[in-house]
Formats: sequence, structure tokens, C-alpha cells
Amino acid sequence: MGRLLKIYMPFASNELKRQLAYRGAFYLFIITSLFSSFISYYLWMAVYGSSGQGVLGGLTQNEMVVYIFMVYVTSSIVTVSLSTWVSDDVVQGTVAMNLIKPIDYRLSLIAKALGRVSFQFLAPAVFVWIGLEIYKVTVLDMAPVSVMGVVLYLFSSGMSFLLFVLFDFCFGMIAFFTTYIFGLRMVKEALLGFLTGQLIPISFFPEAVQRVFGFLPFSSMIYTPVMIYLGKYTGRTLAFMLLRQGIWVLALYGLGSLIWKMVTKRLVVLGG
Amino acid sequence: MIEVKNISKDFVSPKKYPGLKGAVKGLFSNEKVVKTAVDDISFSIRKGEIVGYIGSNGAGKSTTIKMMTGILTPTKGTCRVAGINPNQNRKENAKNIGVVFGQRTQLWWDLPLGESFTILKEIYDVPAEDFSARMDFLNDVLELQDFIDRPVRTLSLGQRMRADLGAALLHNPKVLYLDEPTIGLDLVVKDNIRRAIKQINEKYQTTVILTTHDIGDIEELCSRIIIIDEGKLIYDGSLANLKDTYGNKRKISMEIRQPWKLKELHLEETFGVGEDGCSTEFIEETNSFCVTFDKHRIQVPQVLSAVMEVTEVKDVQIQETELAQIVKEIYNHGTAEGR
Ligand SMILES: Nc1ncnc2c1ncn2[C@@H]1O[C@H](COP(=O)(O)OP(=O)(O)O)[C@@H](O)[C@H]1O
Ligand SMILES: [Mg+2]
Repeated sequence: MGRLLKIYMPFASNELKRQLAYRGAFYLFIITSLFSSFISYYLWMAVYGSSGQGVLGGLTQNEMVVYIFMVYVTSSIVTVSLSTWVSDDVVQGTVAMNLIKPIDYRLSLIAKALGRVSFQFLAPAVFVWIGLEIYKVTVLDMAPVSVMGVVLYLFSSGMSFLLFVLFDFCFGMIAFFTTYIFGLRMVKEALLGFLTGQLIPISFFPEAVQRVFGFLPFSSMIYTPVMIYLGKYTGRTLAFMLLRQGIWVLALYGLGSLIWKMVTKRLVVLGG
Repeated sequence: MIEVKNISKDFVSPKKYPGLKGAVKGLFSNEKVVKTAVDDISFSIRKGEIVGYIGSNGAGKSTTIKMMTGILTPTKGTCRVAGINPNQNRKENAKNIGVVFGQRTQLWWDLPLGESFTILKEIYDVPAEDFSARMDFLNDVLELQDFIDRPVRTLSLGQRMRADLGAALLHNPKVLYLDEPTIGLDLVVKDNIRRAIKQINEKYQTTVILTTHDIGDIEELCSRIIIIDEGKLIYDGSLANLKDTYGNKRKISMEIRQPWKLKELHLEETFGVGEDGCSTEFIEETNSFCVTFDKHRIQVPQVLSAVMEVTEVKDVQIQETELAQIVKEIYNHGTAEGR
């Protein structure tokens, strides 16, 4: 374990350093992504206002505010476009450079993703989070989150991170078969917006649709930790949700290993 | 150390048609083109040998190297490196080898060079004292200390290549693969790199396989060469042997005053040899008359005096055939006998 950390931590710290060096581009990204959270905020406020009902899809108006901004915080912790790195490596032929070393390609990518996510968390997700808590207590007149709530949320988000990167690794493997991964990535992102609950809380969908979503790994990526943060899951439901995340992590880990084995068997390293 | 047995690699790619119409047609056709990049090659290399692996562009050199490093699966045949099948045991094999691909780097683009080395130390699990000893050695031969603090992306090609070679040697690999390590480098850096390879080989008995287009690399480093052409092995043997077989030709160019008198000259008859023993050529623009002959059968003075009997000679140049020319001749010829 210690050796694993020693080998792969440099990939994480390297990515963190790189992000710090190029932070200009990242601030632009922060502004655009927060902007869409605010659009979503005003939209939902209008929906609640015109519906005349206090509770929609199981969420009060105030809980909806928390939902929207915690989705932002959670996706900063969870989403990182690992598949882009894979396709870049394939197109530029740098996969070969990774393969001549006695390292696990996937682990090195996950470590790099961890570096990226640490940066996203520090700038600015954690501040949005703190701001939200202050707003909750002072303006919305809600109780602040409990320590246990924070711990459970962070644990579940950590699982979500693993789930997401393991999934995106599998997705990135497509790059070995077609060079047209960019277009597919747009489709993937659009779909994930729905399936993870990022755009609309999954509880808004009809029962049957919710059931289907429950069978897919995506709702575990963002919806689950946010609902845990909101305190919507307790006792056995909570345990079930965390277990489901764990099972998906294992399943996607296995799937990724399988695909990787297949890919390296028929690997054609471009260029050189 | 390395056993390559009947190894072949086919690349299958969809057939391409020319033009826009062709691109559309390509979408619907299922035709494939098979390119045999490496065709049934076998050789074995002993510990401590430095082998030059040469061939024209597209001959299949890089493809062979990739199969030996385990990043490409052979279509047919097997290979073993230090007893390990690189394809089935990529990570195990990776510990035993060092690789430099001249066209790209294995270092981390954004990191200072020194940090890349620290990461490699962890990856290969190099003990601390070995690490510092080897860094000293590498600093010595490759002079890395001048740019050890700079990010790799800011290094010049020559510096980057030295850094890459250093990175490939840090864990003291049993086998070192160098794919065009001197491409695009100036003479000073080339010399530096060659010296490093030589010293490593002497000090650690490292087995080295080197592909290059630079005949200087071969002459300075390799005692044995393997030549491939269009995926097929056409020569495997010592450099000296190759020179013996193909390097026995000499060429004399003479600038002459009375070219019309050359008709009276019948060198083949004079020396009693055939076409392959002696051939002539006249270049009108410079008035030079070139004679290429077998140096074991005919002596230079004999040629000179024979020519001088018919015409006055202004200037004479004598050339030994160079390795570059021999290699070129073999490419054009097809096969050569080894050993
Ligand atoms: N990924 C690939 N797909 C299709 N053909 C390839 C691929 N890689 C190499 N080739 C072909 O195989 C042949 C050998 O290539 P290579 O081993 O790179 O040659 P060398 O290194 O000797 O110049 C070339 O004709 C090249 O076009
Ligand atoms: Mg090549």
C-alpha cells in the first residue's frame, strides 16, 4: 500500500501543480459552470413559485436550493474527464510510453484524476459549499448540516468519484477503436446530465423511470451523495445506497480490467 | 538474452479509396488491407551484445522493437526477453528493459526533469544508494545537471534525448532498446550519446539493440548488425564480415584530357576479369572517368598505368566503399548471405 502511494501519488501532485500553473483557464471554467447553477436556481424558483405547492418531487423549495448547489459541489469532486486523457494518449501515441513502464495505466490515470479533483474542490467548490451553509442558516432559516452528515456525504462522494473515473475509463477505451470519440463524448455528457440527476432530481421522474435509473450506475454518481447530504436517506435505505455504490465500484473495476486486457491484446499503437 | 522466433506482424486496416467519393465508399465497404510489417524474423542476441538493427524507412524496425517491449502483440511467432514473454508479462518485462524512442519522450512534459527521475525511482523501486550512484554516473556521461531543474517541455532536442536516455538507464535495465536515438542531433550530442551507450555496455554488460539511419552510430557501437527490408531479415552477421563481402570494391575517379581516346581502353580484357571484377563509367560534364574494381584482384597502380597509356590524367581520387554504400547496395540487391 505504501509503495502504491509512493508510485502513484506523484501523478496526483503533478496534476495539481499543473492546474495551479494554468489556473487562468480554470477560472473561466468556474464562472461558466457556476453560471449554469444560477440559471438552474432561477428556473426552479420560478417553477416552485408558479406551482403554488410547497413540495415538488419530495423536495421543499429550500431543499431545492441546497440540491442545486450541492450538485455543483459534488460534480466538482466527482467528474473529471479521464476519457479525454485516454483519447489524447491514444491519438498522440503516448500510451506506448506508459506501457513500457511497469505501472498500471488505469491507476496512474485515477491518481491524476485525484489531483485534478483536489484542485476543483479547493477552487472553488469548498467555498461555494461554505457559502451555501451560511446562506442556509441566515436566509433560509434551516438547520446547519451535522458533522455526521458531512462525513457521510464525503464518504459517498469518494465512492462516486471512484465510480465515475472507473466508468469514464471504460468509456475512454472506445478511443482505441474509433478516433471519433469527441462526438460520442458530447452524447455521453448530455445523457449523464439526466441520468445522474444533475439537471433534474431523479425523484421528479415517474416511478417506472426512477426504477430504471436505479438499475444504472449513474444515479449513484451525483444524486446519491446529494440526497445523503439532504438527509433524505436514513437507516437501511442509507446502508443500501452506500452498498449499491460499492457494488458498482467493484463491477466497473472488473469491467475496466476486462476491456483493458482485450484492448492491449489487439493494441495498435499509432505512429512511431 | 533475447530470443526471437519466427515473429510476424500484420497490420489490418480498412481499405481507403481516393477522393470524397472514395471516403463515402469507404464507409460502406468492408474491404481490408493487410500490411505485413514484419515477416517471419528470427534471431537471438547474447548478453552484452550491441546490435545494430537497420533497414530503410518502413522496413519494420520499430514494429519489431514494439513487439520485443510488449506493447504490440505479434501476429505469429514468439519472443523472449531475459526469459520473459513480453507480451504475456508486460509489467514484469518492463522492469528489465529501458526504451528510448527518438521521436517521443517518456518523461513528464510539465515536470522538472529531476522530478521525473524521482518518479521513475519509485516506479522501478530503485534503492536510494543505487539511485544516487547512478545519477552521478549519468550526470557524468550525459551532463544532465545543466538542465535538471527545467521542465522537460523547455529542453532542446539534444538535451531531451540525453534526458530520455538517462531515464531509460536509471533502473539499470538488462536490455536497452534505442529506436533512432540520434535522429536530428548535432555531432557533439551524438558523440555524447554514443559514449554513454558504450560506457553503460562496458560497465553493466547491458544488451543494446539500436535502430538508426546514421552509419556512424553503427560503426562506432555495433559489432553485429541485422538488416531487414520490407519486413524480411536479409543480413545477420558481423560488421567486419559485411565489409569483407561487400566492401572489397574500390573506385578511382580520374579527370582526363582526351576522353575520345577511351575507346581504345578495354580494362576487362587487360586484367582478365569479368563485369563484377571491374566496371567503368564516364561523366561528361567533369570529364571524369570512374573505374570500380575488386581490390583483391586488381591493384590501383595497374589501373592508373592502363589509363595513362591512352590518355593524359589531370587529377586522381581513390575511394574506399563506405558502409552507407554497402547498405544501400544490399537494400537494392535483396538478400545477402550472413556470417
Ligand atoms: N499502426 C499501423 N497500422 C498500419 N500500418 C502500420 C502501423 N504501424 C506501422 N505500419 C506499417 O508497417 C511498416 C513498418 O513500420 P515501422 O516498423 O514503423 O518501420 P521502421 O521503423 O522500420 O521505419 C510500414 O510500412 C508502416 O506503414
Ligand atoms: Mg521507425
